[in-house]
Amino acid sequence: MSIKVVIKRNTYFDSVSLMSLSTKANQIEGVEQAIIGMGTEMNKGVIRNVGLMTPEVEEATAGDLMIIVKTANADETESAYLAVEELLTNKNSAQAKSDIKYATIDSAAQGIPDANFAVISVNGAFAVREARKALENDLHVMLFSDNVSVEDEVELKTLAHNKGLLMMGPDCGTAIIGNTGLCFANAVRKGSIGIVAASGTGSQEVSVRVHDFGGGITQLIGTGGRDLSKEVGGIMMLDGIKALDADEATKVIVLVSKPPEASVEKKVLAQIKECSKPVVVYFIGGNEEAVVAAGGQFAKTSKEAALKAVLLAGIDDAGINKRALNLPLIEEVRAKLSPEQKYIRGLFCGGTLCDESMYLAMEKFNNVYSNIQKNPDFLLKNINVSQEHTFIDFGDDDFTNGKPHPMIDPSSRIERFLQEAKDPSVGVIVMDFVLGFGSHEDPVGVMLPAIIEAKQLAEKEGRHLEIIGYVLGTDIDKPNLEDQVKKLIDAGVTHASSSTNAGLLAREMVLKGDHHE
Amino acid sequence: MIHAKSGDNYFLQQLVDTEFTGTVHSVFKHALNIRSVADGEIFTLATTAMDNAPNTLVIDLDILDNLHIKQNDSVRMKRDQLLIEDKLQIAIETATCWQCHLPIYPSDTTKLKNNVVQVKRFIDLYGKSGGMKRSDSPVSEFEAETSRLLKQRTTLLHDGLCNRRLDSFQQYALDLVGLGPGLTPSGDDFLVGLFTIIRLEGSPCSIYQPLCESVIKMMKPLTNDISYTTLKKAAYGQVRESIHSLVCAMLSGTETESIQALKKVLAIGSSSGTDIALGLISGLEANIKLGG
Repeated sequence: MSIKVVIKRNTYFDSVSLMSLSTKANQIEGVEQAIIGMGTEMNKGVIRNVGLMTPEVEEATAGDLMIIVKTANADETESAYLAVEELLTNKNSAQAKSDIKYATIDSAAQGIPDANFAVISVNGAFAVREARKALENDLHVMLFSDNVSVEDEVELKTLAHNKGLLMMGPDCGTAIIGNTGLCFANAVRKGSIGIVAASGTGSQEVSVRVHDFGGGITQLIGTGGRDLSKEVGGIMMLDGIKALDADEATKVIVLVSKPPEASVEKKVLAQIKECSKPVVVYFIGGNEEAVVAAGGQFAKTSKEAALKAVLLAGIDDAGINKRALNLPLIEEVRAKLSPEQKYIRGLFCGGTLCDESMYLAMEKFNNVYSNIQKNPDFLLKNINVSQEHTFIDFGDDDFTNGKPHPMIDPSSRIERFLQEAKDPSVGVIVMDFVLGFGSHEDPVGVMLPAIIEAKQLAEKEGRHLEIIGYVLGTDIDKPNLEDQVKKLIDAGVTHASSSTNAGLLAREMVLKGDHHE
Repeated sequence: MIHAKSGDNYFLQQLVDTEFTGTVHSVFKHALNIRSVADGEIFTLATTAMDNAPNTLVIDLDILDNLHIKQNDSVRMKRDQLLIEDKLQIAIETATCWQCHLPIYPSDTTKLKNNVVQVKRFIDLYGKSGGMKRSDSPVSEFEAETSRLLKQRTTLLHDGLCNRRLDSFQQYALDLVGLGPGLTPSGDDFLVGLFTIIRLEGSPCSIYQPLCESVIKMMKPLTNDISYTTLKKAAYGQVRESIHSLVCAMLSGTETESIQALKKVLAIGSSSGTDIALGLISGLEANIKLGG
């Protein structure tokens, strides 16, 4: 017989974990007996009764965790103990659950009979088959995969609609269901505001602003970017609105999207009319009159959408920090920029964040180019070369074909940033940094060397280069929001407190009388 | 900023009236314990998955062990906010006040007698083994021996109660403190239930109240701080909401109400809920016997 004893001082595991660990430890091959428990006098008495008392056990106190492993042979003891220690390291039952791997949707559905939701991220060629299987197993689906034909999307969404299920996607990258962030999402407070969104970072931004204004989210239902096209007909957005209307916890609904196709917009507006709850509509560049006529609350910006939602949800206006624009700073920067520094370059990971800044610029300038412009006259002729005011969405297919999303791999944006920083016609560069589940572990840190290099280069050439950074995240996100903002500020970057403010600051800073075009 | 949803009256007073400072004692998925610097008392932050409880503030979060909060992180009050380092800010002015007021033991025990039978039957069928309830197939010799000792010592304590053996109560109770698996040992959990019943106004067992208080004074080194705090509070009639509801239901509610309330208690910890419920039953059966 051989015994190994380890006493972990002042170490606490909850009872469920302790009992489950004890059971598992006793099932490890080679273990004759394993004890994982608190070092109280009474427990030590029991250990004495079963013949496992050692001097180390005698020393344990009531706040210590005792791990005792008994094996038949001395040469087995260490490996058996290490196996027990590994159980402790992976003690979290959720982790243990996620360790179970299923090869198919069918086996997963059988193995977890209580499951009602499937997140599917497989090659587009197999995505439809897997999503269909999930729906047939009565699972709601979030389909992260893209490269799914519009015909298949319609078929999947119709099947889901007929079964009373949600079919989120294809190409759905953001959702918060039951307070769990899925794919790219932020840690936000639970509350009374539900979101249906055809836009990933747009919905992230609205959820984060809602949290910042003191509100919280019930559900964030993603639809996939193509849902509001004529072909798909907004099946998911319409079902999402109905689902939130029926959800007791949801008091206010927010819709986030680019403007829908005209016939789909009519259906969405009709649904808003029927809805029993207030609906805030943030259709970037959308039509205010139509929304108001349908009884909706129109929001021109993501910040306005979040603010209207929290006020409708009953948050006290007086207690909200609305984070007003820093007007003196705008004047200060205007004075520093030379007459040649006329242009904004927006380099974004988030498509909607790019869109929002671009639309705000378009209100003042008529020479705004992008790789995601709706107006073909202002689509960049060459996506690698900027023209006048340029806003790039690095998450668009142009840049992600065969590469990870820039929220995960920022290398293509770093390169482009240095290119823009050298352009003497550039006054302001505006960028987003997205925190939260699924994102880069240090999005600001990875950009810092390039920012410092750009600032030094501009200084050497005797020009001021204004860099605006917006960090999309909450105070409970990972990595830490405050740390990320501090890194930006320490590097001389102007911190914008929201996507809306980032766009407004950039626009206003380059807007001088003689620059107004 | 996170909002507190509800809080124990005493804890809220401590936060508001004193310049509360403490350190993080332990962090779990649904609870975070804080040791007060002033007197070492343990206070708890609980997620919305938890019910109200003594020394506890329920906050609007679902999970607590993902905030990078570690043992010994500093905790302090600043302008109506409870701060844990720069990792968590809790606004407490939103918290509704809660306090446990145990019911009075009824003069007519007809309902109680029926409810005790039904609750015992339900625990036999659905209670969790591994603690007070013996497992048919214990995972180790340690578990089997622990169960044997728990059975032996709780029987001695119960029989002593029923026979008014005041002289042996203290020792039998102390023999249970710290005995058993889990963070709150099964013996402690059983005593939480028993002390709750002893604390009821009009309870025939209330003659044991001073002895419970002396057990509390002697037991501190025998168990961990978290379990000690829970048991100490129970000895003074302060227990979590789900236990309070079960006591109310068993004393004067219907059978269905009792089973509904029992289900919530059985969900506490691993076997803790079962052990607490068996402590309540032991006290109520003694009351029935002593009350005639």
